[in-house]
Amino acid sequence: MSDLRFEELRGEEVTYAIHRQDRTFLPSREHCPLDPTKPGGEPTEIPFPSFEIAVFDNRFPAFEAPKGAAEVVVYTEEHDASFATLSAERAEDLMWVWRHRYLELGAREDVDYVYIFENRGVEVGVTLHHPHGQIYGYPFLPPVARLELEADRRLGGCAPCALLRRELDDGQRTLIENDGAVVYVPYAARWAYEAHVVMRRHRASLLECEPEELRSLSIALQTLVRGYDALFDRPFPYVMAVHQASTAAASRPDADAAGQGHLHVEFYPPLRTAEKLKYLAGSEQGEGAFISDTLPEESAARLREAIARAG
Amino acid sequence: MAGKPGERPTEEQTADALLERPGEPERIGPLVLERHVKDDGRALILYTHDRRARS
Repeated sequence: MSDLRFEELRGEEVTYAIHRQDRTFLPSREHCPLDPTKPGGEPTEIPFPSFEIAVFDNRFPAFEAPKGAAEVVVYTEEHDASFATLSAERAEDLMWVWRHRYLELGAREDVDYVYIFENRGVEVGVTLHHPHGQIYGYPFLPPVARLELEADRRLGGCAPCALLRRELDDGQRTLIENDGAVVYVPYAARWAYEAHVVMRRHRASLLECEPEELRSLSIALQTLVRGYDALFDRPFPYVMAVHQASTAAASRPDADAAGQGHLHVEFYPPLRTAEKLKYLAGSEQGEGAFISDTLPEESAARLREAIARAG
Repeated sequence: MAGKPGERPTEEQTADALLERPGEPERIGPLVLERHVKDDGRALILYTHDRRARS
């Protein structure tokens, strides 16, 4: 069981999950725990010879009931696939899986925020190469979700809605547009190739999306990650972070600000060139002040070209 | 389709979203769910695209 401690200087929770020290670390391809179980073979996490999308409780959870949840979402049985190479149908199905997990985990009293994410690449700490994402059901409102609520208050309404309007008006950093979603490099991107995939209409969470919007979202996400892979002609590492409304019960007296949200997906790629990584060093770690050596408008131009090249 | 932001999904929303019907497999959107419990007690859900629904 993990332990939470509140770090007073930064005003945030720190989670101690010491059992994760022993989690499976970059196993050989033959011992991938996310492959289907071959008949007569060593059992994997998925004891079936075939599957499409699988979700299971993390064996090494950062959070678990009655204080949250940690799940693994396996996108496909194909070991060498990636989110970019999934069929359009599978990518769209994944949006429905995300929606289902948001619904079920969000209904739990011990989950205040459902966070869906993917770490891709050893550069961001991946320990299993098989294409998969994760879901944390935080038993508290995490710091970034809290900051987004503060942005809503600061801007006098939905901040992502306001920022989306600004990006569409400006247009310099826009990468992809479809009926349901818009993708852009944000005006104040912290990472060289950071991009945000934002629902065009105000949707607090996946639950509020119409089926067509889920399809638009999956198309926008795949178009972006295929462009990422084309940018330097290599698998492009990233953290993909799905941001949506907190599910903290408004009626629970000790619940943190149960609140607004606007479904959007943020990508934080650590590469600033084909071979160079952006490190979080003195300014970023010590003072939380990002210093970037790339202009968002120039990154957007390069990404638009890569997206066009990826087709 | 959903409640107000910040509120937990209601039972009605859950039932509506899952399109659960007595005697039929659990579904969400185009997917059919199969729930399993692993040997060590952990939950496992398999999601399969229901191609029959499109035909």
